[in-house]
Amino acid sequence: MLKNLRVKTSKFIDETINVSFKFNGKTYYGFKGDTLASALLSNDIHLVGRSFKYHRPRGIMTAGSEEPNAIVQTNKNTAFTEPNVRATEIEIYEGLEASSQNCWPSVSFDIGGINNFLSPLLPAGFYYKTFMWPASFWEKYEYVIRHSAGLGKSPTEPDPDIYDHRYIHCDVLVIGAGITGIMAAKTAAKNNLKTLLLDEKTELGGSTIFQDSDHVKINDQSSSTWLENEITELEKLDNLEIKTRTSVAAYHGYNYLLARENLTDHLPKSEKQNKIRQRLLKIRAKKVIVATGSLERPLVFNNNDRPGIMLSSAIKRYADYYGVATGQKNIFFTNNDTAYENVIALNKKGINVEAIVDIRENSNSEFTKTVESLGIKIYKNHTVVDTHGYKKLNKISIMELSKDGQSFASLNKITLDCDCLGMAGGWTPAVHLFTQSGGKLKFRDKDQVFIPNNYPSEQISIGSCNGDFELDEIINNTSKSLKEFLSVNKTDYDNLDIKCPKDKAIRNIWLLPSDKVLGKTKPFVDYQNDATANDIKLALREGFRSIEHVKRYTTTGMGTDQGKLGNMHALGIIADTAGVKVGELGTTTFRPPYTPLTFGTMVGRNVGEYFDAFRRTPMNDWHNENKAEFENVGQWKRAWYYPKNKETMHEAVQRESKAARDSAGILDASTLGKIDIQGTDASEFLNRVYTNAWSKLAIGKCRYGLMLNEDGMVYDDGVTTRLDENHYIMTTTTGGAANVLGKLEDYLQTEWSELDVYLSSVTDHYATASVCGPNSKKILNKIIPDLDLSDENFPHMSFKNAKIGNIKCRVMRISFTGEHSYEINVQANFGKTLWEKCMEAGQEFKITPYGTETMHLLRAEKGFIIVGQDTDGTMTPIDLQMDWIVSKKKYDFIGKRSLYRSDTMKEDRKQLVGLVTDNPSEVLEEGAQIVANTSTTPVEMLGHVTSSYYSPNLNKSIALAVVRGGKNMMGQKLFIPMENKNINVTIVDPVFFDKENVRLNA
Amino acid sequence: MLNYNTSIKEDKSYSDLDMKEIKPIMKLIIRGKTKDFITAIEKKLNIILPTIANTSTSGEALTALWLSPDEWMLVSNNTLSNDTNTYEVEDNLIKNISKVNLGAITNVSDQFVMINIKGNKVFDLFATGSPFNFNEFKNKKGSVVQTILSHIDVIIHLTGINEVNLLVRRSFSEHLYSWLNDSASRL
Repeated sequence: MLKNLRVKTSKFIDETINVSFKFNGKTYYGFKGDTLASALLSNDIHLVGRSFKYHRPRGIMTAGSEEPNAIVQTNKNTAFTEPNVRATEIEIYEGLEASSQNCWPSVSFDIGGINNFLSPLLPAGFYYKTFMWPASFWEKYEYVIRHSAGLGKSPTEPDPDIYDHRYIHCDVLVIGAGITGIMAAKTAAKNNLKTLLLDEKTELGGSTIFQDSDHVKINDQSSSTWLENEITELEKLDNLEIKTRTSVAAYHGYNYLLARENLTDHLPKSEKQNKIRQRLLKIRAKKVIVATGSLERPLVFNNNDRPGIMLSSAIKRYADYYGVATGQKNIFFTNNDTAYENVIALNKKGINVEAIVDIRENSNSEFTKTVESLGIKIYKNHTVVDTHGYKKLNKISIMELSKDGQSFASLNKITLDCDCLGMAGGWTPAVHLFTQSGGKLKFRDKDQVFIPNNYPSEQISIGSCNGDFELDEIINNTSKSLKEFLSVNKTDYDNLDIKCPKDKAIRNIWLLPSDKVLGKTKPFVDYQNDATANDIKLALREGFRSIEHVKRYTTTGMGTDQGKLGNMHALGIIADTAGVKVGELGTTTFRPPYTPLTFGTMVGRNVGEYFDAFRRTPMNDWHNENKAEFENVGQWKRAWYYPKNKETMHEAVQRESKAARDSAGILDASTLGKIDIQGTDASEFLNRVYTNAWSKLAIGKCRYGLMLNEDGMVYDDGVTTRLDENHYIMTTTTGGAANVLGKLEDYLQTEWSELDVYLSSVTDHYATASVCGPNSKKILNKIIPDLDLSDENFPHMSFKNAKIGNIKCRVMRISFTGEHSYEINVQANFGKTLWEKCMEAGQEFKITPYGTETMHLLRAEKGFIIVGQDTDGTMTPIDLQMDWIVSKKKYDFIGKRSLYRSDTMKEDRKQLVGLVTDNPSEVLEEGAQIVANTSTTPVEMLGHVTSSYYSPNLNKSIALAVVRGGKNMMGQKLFIPMENKNINVTIVDPVFFDKENVRLNA
Repeated sequence: MLNYNTSIKEDKSYSDLDMKEIKPIMKLIIRGKTKDFITAIEKKLNIILPTIANTSTSGEALTALWLSPDEWMLVSNNTLSNDTNTYEVEDNLIKNISKVNLGAITNVSDQFVMINIKGNKVFDLFATGSPFNFNEFKNKKGSVVQTILSHIDVIIHLTGINEVNLLVRRSFSEHLYSWLNDSASRL
C-alpha cells in the first residue's frame, strides 16, 4: 500500500502543479518545487544507489549540495546526460529521467554487491597491494578495473546546451542568503553600495525561513516570519542584484570569485530550448561577506550508512520545507541539542518520533524539556551500536556508554524498530571558500570546530561559518561585524529582542564504540568513497602520519562531495589514534570548485567557431568564392591551395607551382606583420635588432633582415624598406608579428629609452597582393601604366609610391619565389578590388592564384628558409649557412655575443643542407630522421628533414634538412630509415633552382 | 578605379541594442614625447590632446583618444569620401611633425574598424566578454579604454549615454562582429 508521506508543505512547494518524472524507468509524481530527493522520499523511495567500492545499498542522506550518496545519472543515453547529479539539488521537471549509478542490473539487485562480502580483501590502499601477480595478467585486471571504476557515465555526444560567461564588478559580494546573508545584503544596499547576493538554493532564507519554532523569536515574531519580512523589504532595494540557484565555485586572490548560475535545469524540456543553461559569473568584489553557514555532521558508528539513515536537519527540512515525512518510525541519534529542535518540529507536523538516543549524560536545555513533555523517550548516555535492514533500515541496536565513552556501562543491548534514523553529530562551519582565498583557520576546542582566524583580503565571515551558532550571538556579532567592515554607524539589527534557547555543550566522540571487534564493523567516515574508520586506522598503522597522506591513501574526502560530511571525523579519528590534538593536525587543502562544475560552464561560449578568434584578410571573400582550401597560420585563415575540377592538394599545388614560374602567379601576402618605424634613430634601431647593417640603406630600397634572440638563435626574418630619411616599414613573419612588435617595443621602453624611435603596427592597414612570374611586369604595367617598371628605374629590392586611380599604394619589388615579382600594398578596404584587378589584368597571361602550400614549395626550390619551419629556435645564422648576413663590422646587435659561445661555434652543429632522393619520385616525410648507418645501437641520428616537396619545375623531389656538420658533407650519401624501408639521399646545395638568380630580372 | 569593401556586411538590431560600422573614418596614430610635439599638434589641429589616461578630447573635425603616455589616435568626427585615401590632415601633420622630427604620424585608417554600438544593453553586452569594470566608465562621456572583448584587443570610446565607438583590428572584425551578434541575441 502506498504510504501517504506528505504532510503540510511550505509555500515553496506548489501542490497545485503535479510533475511527473522517471526514476530507474518507472514513472512517479511530485510537486513543483520538489527536488528529486524530496519527490522520491514522498514516494517512499530511500534506496537510490550503490556505494563506490562495496556496492552497499545507499539512500538519501542530506537535503543539500553536501550529499554523498544520492547521486544519479540524468537523461541517460541522450546528449543531455549528466553523471553524479545530486538528487538533493536537482528540481524535478516534466520529462526528467534519472537513474541509479554504480549498479547492475538494478539498484535493488546489483551483482557488484558481492564486493561487500569481499570487503576484507578491499581495505584502503588495496590497489597498491593487489593485481600484481602474475604480471602477464595485468591487462586482464585492467579491463575489469576500468569497467568497475567511476560512478556515473560520461556523455558520448557533444553537449547541445548553450553556456555563457559574465563579468560582474560590485562593491560588496554576499555569499549565502541565510539570515546573516540577508542582514549583510540589506545593510550594504541600504548604504548605497553596489551589492550582489548569491545563494545556491532556490529560495532565500537558508534554514531560518522555515524554522517556525515556538522557542526562537525575534521581536516577538517567530524567526521565520521576521526573516520573511526582511526578505520582502530586501527585494525592494536598489543597488542590489540577487541570484539564486547560484553556487560560488572558487574564491581566488584579490577578491576574484567564480560562481555558477543555474538558469534552466529546473525548467520543463520545452522551456529549455535556445536558452543559456548555466552561466559562469566572474566576479571582482571590493568587499566579500562570506555567510555560507555550516554543515551538519553525521556520527560514526557500525553500519551507519543504510538507506533511511540521514542527517537530522535534513529530516526537518524535508518535513518543514518540502512537506515530506521521511519515515514513520523516526529515531534521532545525537550528541547535541539540534536533534531536539528537529524532533519538536516533526511532532508539530504530526510525524511520529519514537525516541531520541543521546550520547550525553545530561541535557537539560529548553528543547530537551519540551521533548520530554511530549512523551518522547530519551535514552541518555546511550549510543547506537548497530543498524539492521540491507536495502532499508528497519531496526537499530543501542547500548549504554561507559563514563569515558570508549566502551559500555553494561552489556545490555536494546533493539528498537526504526525506519528512519536522524544523526545529529554537531556542526562544521563551511570554511571552504574562506580557505581557498588563503585564509588560515583556528580550532575551537569547546565544540571541535575550525573557524576563520585571519582574513587574507577585504572579507569577513559571519554567522555559523564563523562559529556563531545561537541566534542572539549570530545577530549581535553579525551586526557588529557589518558596521566595522562596511564603515557604517548603525544597522537595522542593533536593538532586537531575541529569544533563543541556550544549548548545552556537545559531547564529541569521533568514533563511537561497538560491542563487536573493530575489524568486524563498518563505521563509515567517507560515504562516497566507502572509507571506514578501520581504513584510517590501517593507514596510521602502515606509517602514514600527515593528513594529506592519510587522505590520499584512504581516499577520504576525495569524492564529488569533497569530504563535506566526513573530513572532520577523519581528522578526529587520526588525532585520537595518533594521540595528537585535532587543532594541531590542521585540515587538508580546500580546492575549487566547491561543488562540481560542468565543462560547459567553464568553457562558456568558447566553442565551435568561438573557440578561438579567426583573422581574415581583405581578400578572404574572393578566396571563398573561388573555392580555396584554407589553413590556419596562427589565428589567420590563409588560402592554402585553390583546387580546380576536384583536384587533390598535390595536383593543385603542382599546377600552381608550375604556372607561377611558367607565366604568372598571385599570392595573398596580407598576413605578414608590418611595423611602421619612424624617428631620427630608426636606422640605429634597425642595426641593433637585425644581424646585418642598415645605416647605408638608401631611401627607396629594400633589404632582407634576420632577427636573433639574445641567445643567438634565429627568431624572425623579413624585408624592411626605407620609405624616407627617418621612416621605414618592417615586415615580419605572419606568426611572429605580435611577438616581434611586443619585443621591440619592450626594448625601446626598457633598454633603449634614449632612442628616438616610434613603432606602430600597420599589419591590418595594408592588403598585399604579390604578383610573380615572367609576365609579372606586363601585368603590373596594365594596372599601373604610369609606373616606369624598367630595371634601371625600378630595380629588384626597391619600392615605388604609386596610384591606382585615386588610391595611393606602394609597390615593392621583392621576391620570395625567386621569380620577377612585385608586392602591391594598398589600404585594406581596397584590397579585394586590387586583387580582382590583378586577376583581370593577368587573365591573358593565365595568372594563377596560389596559396601557402605552393609558396612553401617555390621558396624551397630557391633554398629560402621559413622561420619556424626550417628553424626551431636552436639554429644560428651560421647553422643556416647565412654567414653572409651577419655583419662583422657592427659593434653590437641582439644575439651577437651568443654567436661566440663555445657551443654556438662548434663545427658539428646541425646545419642547413639540401637533400635529393635516389628515386626522384620519392618524397621524404618532414621530420624524418637522417642516419649514416644503423649497425651500432643506439643509432646515431644526424639530423632531420625540415621541408619536403615534389618540384614540378625540377621534376624531382627536393628537401631541406639540418644535418650535423652538413656544410662539409656535400655529395655524401646518407639514408632515412622509414617504417618499412630505407630511403637513400644525397646531401646537396640547398639552392636547387636558378642559383644565379637570373629569373629575378627576367 | 579601386572600390571600397569593408569587412562588416550589415547593420544589426536587437531590443535595446543597435550596431553598425561607421566608415570611412580617417584614423591616425600620432606618437611623441616632447612638449614641442604636443604644442605643434595642438596648434596645427586646433585641438587639445588629452593628457589624463583613458580620456579623450574633441575638436570640430577630429577627436583625440589617449592610448599611452606617448601615443594618441586621431579619428575624424565625420565620415569621409571612400574614393580617395589622401587626407589633408595627414599630409599636414607629416609635413609639420614627422618631417621635422617632432614625432611619428602613421595612417591606421584601415588598421581598425569602427563599430558604433548603442542601446541600454551596451554594457550588458560587454559584460559577457570583457573583464574591464565599466561601472564608472559608462558615466563619463569621452572615456576611453583599451581592453579585451572575447579575447580580442579593442579600444572602446564612450561617445554618449549608452553609446560607444568600438575599434578593432580589421582582421579580427568579422569574428568579433559575429561574436557580438551571438551574445546580443541572448541578452
